[in-house]
Amino acid sequence: MLEMKSIAKVYRTDLIETHALSEFSLHVGAGEFVAIMGPSGSGKTTFLNVAGLLDTFERGTYVLDGQDVSPLSDDQMSRIRNQKIGFIFQSFNLIPDLDAFDNVDVPLRYRGLPGAERRTRVERSLELVGLGSRARHLPSQLSGGQQQRVAIARVLAGDPRLILADEPTGNLDSLMTREIMDLLEKINEQGATIVMVTHSPECAARAQRQVHLLDGRVVDFEAAPRLAGREMARLAPSVG
Amino acid sequence: MFLYNLRIALLSLRRNSVLSMVIVGGIALGIAVATLFSTMRHVLAKDPVPDKSRALHYVRLDNWDPLKPYPGDDPTRPPTQITYQDMVSLMRSDIPVRQSGMFKANLYVFPDPKVGRPTKQMTRLCFADFFPMFEVPFRYGGPWDRHADQGPEPVVVLSEELNDTVFGGANSVGRMLRIEDREFKVVGVLDRWRPPVKFYDVTQFAVQAPEAMYVPFNFVRPMKIQTVGNRDGWKSAPAPGLEGLLASESCWIQMWVELPTREKVEAYKSFVDAYVIEQKKTGRFPRPLNNRVTPMMAWLKEQRVVPNEINALTVVSLLFLAVCSLNLMGLLLGKFLARAPEIGVRRALGARRRDVFVQHVIECEVVGVIGGLLGILLSLAGLAWMNGWAKTLLTRDDFFRLDLPMALFAIFLSLLAGLVAGLYPAWRVCRVPPAMHLKLQ
Repeated sequence: MLEMKSIAKVYRTDLIETHALSEFSLHVGAGEFVAIMGPSGSGKTTFLNVAGLLDTFERGTYVLDGQDVSPLSDDQMSRIRNQKIGFIFQSFNLIPDLDAFDNVDVPLRYRGLPGAERRTRVERSLELVGLGSRARHLPSQLSGGQQQRVAIARVLAGDPRLILADEPTGNLDSLMTREIMDLLEKINEQGATIVMVTHSPECAARAQRQVHLLDGRVVDFEAAPRLAGREMARLAPSVG
Repeated sequence: MFLYNLRIALLSLRRNSVLSMVIVGGIALGIAVATLFSTMRHVLAKDPVPDKSRALHYVRLDNWDPLKPYPGDDPTRPPTQITYQDMVSLMRSDIPVRQSGMFKANLYVFPDPKVGRPTKQMTRLCFADFFPMFEVPFRYGGPWDRHADQGPEPVVVLSEELNDTVFGGANSVGRMLRIEDREFKVVGVLDRWRPPVKFYDVTQFAVQAPEAMYVPFNFVRPMKIQTVGNRDGWKSAPAPGLEGLLASESCWIQMWVELPTREKVEAYKSFVDAYVIEQKKTGRFPRPLNNRVTPMMAWLKEQRVVPNEINALTVVSLLFLAVCSLNLMGLLLGKFLARAPEIGVRRALGARRRDVFVQHVIECEVVGVIGGLLGILLSLAGLAWMNGWAKTLLTRDDFFRLDLPMALFAIFLSLLAGLVAGLYPAWRVCRVPPAMHLKLQ
């Protein structure tokens, strides 16, 4: 489903170059549920942006669902984002002026689906996340967990092959976290590939595989606890 | 998708209502000023007889002083009117389909004493062709016939307003009305006739209302009627009084001819030149041959019916609208960029750059149209105020009117202003990298 080889991503300013991803390689098979972990600044978000075709990269190859994305135009990448990728963000990223129904409807609008089909998909998705009765509520009228469920319904309505989740439970309490993780597991069981960035070991434990990043690279799984310890030691003085 | 974008635009306007009001107000102000002055210009520049103005021609002959040209900006131009004797001679031509010499006078009208006291009424002395030539509308009756010109027969055509005053608005055709010292029979009552400019006589104040009465030209001699319009002369009259005036080189008559084909125009020009050459043999027309048979719209332009000041004000008002639009560009840019996180979400969900661009252009056009409609309302208020002024000065209160073409022009200006203000901000916001703002949402 997702094949990255030797990806490099550099952020440049007048003074410095930041290598956000360096020789980054990752394979995610179809139907997998992968958790991406790593300390702040390790390149998790950059990886998600590149994987989601929201950002470009300098070197390497990226094949998504059998298609090399390097030569794609901006319009073509938009189409892939719309049809093959679903995003779940830590801060939900719902459009505040639109109610739950219309938020879920957004990607379907850009897909150009007829009105009746859009309505069916939106209603079914909201029912699946348990918010069928809140369809006309604005985001401000919903709790954090409900907002995240609307965001998940938005993904479900688009029926993507790949779901990229960036700290999907980062802003939720433990009860809501469990609900959202249950939902993601259910979606994964139905065949969707999920790549989830998280800081939470509990959430990561529910994925089939964990991938650890450090300094823009995938590091050995066995080395992860050691690296994590080193990171803790690095942070300790400032914490203390 | 258009209706969807329209809804998004309206939601956006509601979200930042104060900022939206400032932006809409800016467009409205610019549109109001531009529409106001453009309407003024449009009213003055409009073709008053669009069906046949190309066939209508104004006739001038250069009978002026051999030592100096007729005064004015352009020394090559002949006098703006012609003499009585020349008018009489030109009227003998059978080339024009219709023709009429004319001038205005101020005559006493004596209504029934029960109705009112005698009043002076502005009167046009003209020939029967005046009415069909200028497509003057009638409510009752019609114009007198050419036979009545010759007598002349005591017939009169009244304006709607004078008929209202004297006959209470009834069909007065066939009734008698005393004008000065004789009785005239009413043969026609005009329907409401308010050409934007008094195009058939622009030698004085072009924006006056048409006259209240129309009587056959040839009453000039039996009733000893003098013009109250301009009278230009360079040579003493051969005799005192009206007879001297009629035989003099004084120019005080406007002459119009209807020449529907190019051949007729050429034939008439040749006729006029031949007439003047013939007159030169009698010692008249000492200046070089310089006759003009000018199409109506060219004549109105030459007479600056649209003053240069109005043209300048129109240009300045359009520039003011442009400045308003450019100022609003900054506000829209700020507004759109503040929404960058939402744009990032839309891009992540599959919106193409052009989807984002079109969404924001439509929002700008919504601002433009709302501002435009508000601006049109403001300009209507401005025009009403101007008409109040016109009522005092021009004795007419319907001079400045926003007609359909001008309303459409105002809408077009609104769309253009919205586009000018919003094109760059929309382009900028669609170039925002989608990943940059997603975390900020």
